[in-house]
Amino acid sequence: MNTRHLPEALGATVLLLASATLAFHGQPDLEQKWEFLAPKFEPLLAEREVYIDPAELLHLMNDDYIHLVIYDVRSESDWNEFHLVDSTLVALENLKLERDRLLSLPETAVVVVVSNDEMLATGAWKRLMAVAKPNAYILEGGLNLWLNIYGVPDEETGGHGKASLGKPDGTLRHPFKLALGDRHAAAQPDEHHLQHREYTPKVKLLKKIAKAGGCD
Amino acid sequence: MAPFDLVSLLGVTGSYFIYLAIGFAFGFILESSGFGDSRQLAAQFYFRELRVVKVMFTAIVVAMILIFWSTALGLLDYDQIWVSPTYLWPGIAGGLIMGIGFIIGGYCPGTSLVSAATLKLDGIFFLLGNITGMVIFGETAGLINTFWNSGYFGTFTLPELLHLETGIVVVLVTCLALGMFAGFEWIRGLIYGRAK
Amino acid sequence: MNGLAEKVKYWNPYLGGALLGLLLFLSIFVTSHGLGASGGVNRIAVAVEDLVVPEHVDKTPYIAKMAGGDRDPLAHWLVWEVAGIMLGGFVSGLLRGRVKVQTYHGPQISPHSRWAYAFVGGTLMGYGARMARGCTSGQGLSGGAVMSVGSWAFMFAIFAGGYGLAWFVRRLWQPEA
Repeated sequence: MNTRHLPEALGATVLLLASATLAFHGQPDLEQKWEFLAPKFEPLLAEREVYIDPAELLHLMNDDYIHLVIYDVRSESDWNEFHLVDSTLVALENLKLERDRLLSLPETAVVVVVSNDEMLATGAWKRLMAVAKPNAYILEGGLNLWLNIYGVPDEETGGHGKASLGKPDGTLRHPFKLALGDRHAAAQPDEHHLQHREYTPKVKLLKKIAKAGGCD
Repeated sequence: MAPFDLVSLLGVTGSYFIYLAIGFAFGFILESSGFGDSRQLAAQFYFRELRVVKVMFTAIVVAMILIFWSTALGLLDYDQIWVSPTYLWPGIAGGLIMGIGFIIGGYCPGTSLVSAATLKLDGIFFLLGNITGMVIFGETAGLINTFWNSGYFGTFTLPELLHLETGIVVVLVTCLALGMFAGFEWIRGLIYGRAK
Repeated sequence: MNGLAEKVKYWNPYLGGALLGLLLFLSIFVTSHGLGASGGVNRIAVAVEDLVVPEHVDKTPYIAKMAGGDRDPLAHWLVWEVAGIMLGGFVSGLLRGRVKVQTYHGPQISPHSRWAYAFVGGTLMGYGARMARGCTSGQGLSGGAVMSVGSWAFMFAIFAGGYGLAWFVRRLWQPEA
């Protein structure tokens, strides 16, 4: 055996082993990525630091400085009944496709995830964190609470009254007579003509890592 | 998780210092490997010297394995890594031009810096030419704007292209590199005989 | 002046490559960027232009992004990395007695011709590096390590260009046959 090439042969073997074992181990999927991130981000959920009041979302919608992205992660039928103006319908499995968009958001961007109650949106928020760690928040109380506040006139629901929030089950509990999507008044409430609602502001703008990379 | 936001950790000046240190190590390794010498570099294209492929592809494979083991173990966040976007046609065209420049000039931008730093006159002339070429590009960029932005695929990686898992692609690249090393050695033996 | 016998004093290329790979990994790990060189050189070029013809810089879109108005093209990490590269190369050369004013050239041509070829090659390189948005360090090594398709295509194009022309310019480098 030609021992002159032994170090090189060893090196080659090491590299092959290292790459083969890597292929075997695999890269983390979104759930695993969340597990890595959880120590840092779970507390934010537990302390309710990323749940924002509907009034704060309304404020964001009217703030020209903020680049607002609203992800609606509900079913298409719920979406057709009612959704917020300028929100984007995204299924949970498709959140990872938003990666490029999320990574190129400006410093003034704020992402808000909405669902009927908070549960689906919370799951979606975790996925967003695993995908791209954007500056993201969850609509507290979901669209059920939103509609209770910015309410639809009784005509639209035939006098159903406010949705109960005590036992959230993920359903939309405002039975609209007409599925008008974002053409309901509550899809874009007029901030100035409503009674001011107190809230604790939680949204903070993050400073972006300078992403000029490579040789450019 | 790495990578870190250096500016918020160390301030702008602190972050610059890190890059200075990285550059220092880079230049040191290049010079120590003989990359400040245009004869060593050009000899690659005649199979007399195989430094260029050996260093480049060993570096890529080693880095790749370290990077993707780190992401696999949750130490490094892949989404925060800068992956240069693919502009396919200008990339290929630029590469061809650079290949021609390489064999005529004997350096590439990084190695010419090292060469110039050790007072090699050919390195200094190369660097001056480098700057000239860049200025020419800047002046004429408007004329080729459409071409320069053509073939845009965004961040496009080999696993996405080949529809294979990341880990499999790492194995393939490793095999490719090792195959290249063996292949080039064999070609060198053919051209120049066994006596080395 | 065929100094290939000097290669004994240079590091084993596999070792150099492994160290470079480790450095590249650390760079990405700590800073999220890989290595880079041509971008820094470009910015220095632009800075010089800005000193000499600032109004022109403001009006040319490609350069204005970096140096138009109040922007300082040198306030960028690539410039610091380039400074580091030169420093590291210098120190390495110094330690091994390789810091000498001399011209490396193939045995069949003179130093003066070599200067001309180096300048021409450098110009092509500089132009090509901007066209490709990077050079072997940035696009090649760093892009290659993170598996960017464009970077791999770029690398193969460089080798194709170099090998393609090699035979025709062999007089520049090869000893007399």
